[in-house]
Amino acid sequence: MKQPLTRRDFLRETTLAVLGTTVGLPRLAPAQTVPPAQTSKSRVVLIRHPEALDENSQFNGKIIQQMLDEAVAKLLDAPDAVAAFRQLVKPEDIVGIKSNVWSYLPTPPEVEKAIKSRLLDAGVKEEAIGLDDHTVRTNPIFVKSTALINVRPLRTHYLAGMSGCIKNYIMFDVSQPAHHPDSCADLGSLFLLPQVKGKTRLNVLCVLTPQYYGRGPHNFNRRYVWNYNGLIVGRDPVAVDAIGLRLLMAKRRKELGPAQEIPPVPKHIQIADAKYGLGTSDMAKIELIKLGWAEDILI
Amino acid sequence: MLAVAKSMLLPIGAALAFAAFVGGSVKDLGPRLPKEIAGWTSAGPDRVYDRKTIFDYLDGGAEVYLAFDLREVFVRKFKNTAGTEIALDIYDCGSPAEAFGAFTCDRQDPDAGIGQESEYGSGLLRFWQGRYFVSITAAGDEEKAESALRELAKAVVPVLGPSGEPPALVRAIPESGLKKDRTCFFHSVINLNNRFFVAADNILSLGPETDCILAEYDAGGKADPARLLLIHYPNEIGAQAAEASFAKGYKPVAVAAGAGANTGPRTLARRRSNFLAIVFAAPSPEFAERLLAAVNYPQP
Repeated sequence: MKQPLTRRDFLRETTLAVLGTTVGLPRLAPAQTVPPAQTSKSRVVLIRHPEALDENSQFNGKIIQQMLDEAVAKLLDAPDAVAAFRQLVKPEDIVGIKSNVWSYLPTPPEVEKAIKSRLLDAGVKEEAIGLDDHTVRTNPIFVKSTALINVRPLRTHYLAGMSGCIKNYIMFDVSQPAHHPDSCADLGSLFLLPQVKGKTRLNVLCVLTPQYYGRGPHNFNRRYVWNYNGLIVGRDPVAVDAIGLRLLMAKRRKELGPAQEIPPVPKHIQIADAKYGLGTSDMAKIELIKLGWAEDILI
Repeated sequence: MLAVAKSMLLPIGAALAFAAFVGGSVKDLGPRLPKEIAGWTSAGPDRVYDRKTIFDYLDGGAEVYLAFDLREVFVRKFKNTAGTEIALDIYDCGSPAEAFGAFTCDRQDPDAGIGQESEYGSGLLRFWQGRYFVSITAAGDEEKAESALRELAKAVVPVLGPSGEPPALVRAIPESGLKKDRTCFFHSVINLNNRFFVAADNILSLGPETDCILAEYDAGGKADPARLLLIHYPNEIGAQAAEASFAKGYKPVAVAAGAGANTGPRTLARRRSNFLAIVFAAPSPEFAERLLAAVNYPQP
């Protein structure tokens, strides 16, 4: 029988090495379509820019567009962003941009706009592009969608440890609380839902203003949000979330100390890898490319 | 003692109003709560959520409160002319012990001097009073909102009635070196792991029937505090099973019933009857041993 992950494991192995280990779970048929070129190592691009937010912490749409363009081009080794998006979608695709509207820390409209802009440049018709969160199950564009773009901010979560790209698909299921038991362990199953399976072309984890800790019933307080000015971009949602978790843990260690480095309990990322085959949580199998601003990068 | 003295100071009118309310629904609190405070006025209808509908209100955090004996939540929102929102949430936790738990499981900020125990920090004011846990949150412009939050909290306290007693288990933990404002009471592994991650699985078999205290102790110098986890199981068999599970799951640990066992320099566990006490992150085995020896186990 496999030993449960404990505090000792995390402290001994430090950060994600533990999350990268297999847990002896049976692997289901892969739910994610990862191109063969990326199956050996999942590429994730972290890009940051000091002017992504202005002096009033307002998002700079122009800079954010540049960041997305550069990150996606690098992700796919494309000459530019339009060429990269043409690798991701076809003009005849019906594309759902799965965003996040959590009132305290929603997906910035500037990021949504940047994605939509490049989808249009890639030839997708405007009427074939949808943007939604809570009503994705019934939104006609999402119901008919042939491709999905997954975009949301990074934050801690009381149960799942972290809300990232894997958890962002919870609205595709009838019941959200049904995914809460055991620290939301089986969130990876969301990617097997018929409305989702095989459709995700890009994952964008917004780390412009991530939240590293949460308190109070609403699990939000502005003091735990910081200007990191970044985007984490990848085709593999597990690898993207693994990098996001690494960032959260680094920030928590710095601000809260080693005793609170680990947000409870982010095992759904590992399980999305080991059980559902969505991608990789093993840092040794992730190619992390860092672009742009390096100050206080933490990871 | 302090709690009793405070309850005696309640205005007679408020006491009478409370007498009529005891056992009632939180919606009955509404008429006695302020609708305007320091430039903020109530916006939109009041809401009441129960254990089933609370998911409509708390996105992802509901289980933390459902792990206590939560009955209902009353919500009133306020806005000022700038559009800044204040949310007043009153959680009926069923008993003072449960309200104490809901408050302490997340406590971190300096005392605000409101209700039985309270804290304020950066737009978040939390306190407990009787069987109620109250959270008041400002979303934006926290500095301006602080005085309104404090005024609102002070206006809410008398509506909630007399004080209550914290859980008796609190009295079992040693006082020497204790960081009192870092002591929390809970039942569930969710609350344990939010405060201090132990294991991804529920290796201590925590649940609605277990009462737990997690307390922090000064470990000297700049060292991280040591933690004492004291768990009261419904019966000795449950405590024995949890002890064995912990010993197996939290390797390399060897737990010896009764006498206690050194599980390395930083962790020491000991069971006595229905109780299991574990010291984490002790600076030395001797420190852990002293802490465990000082536990004042209640009669099971």
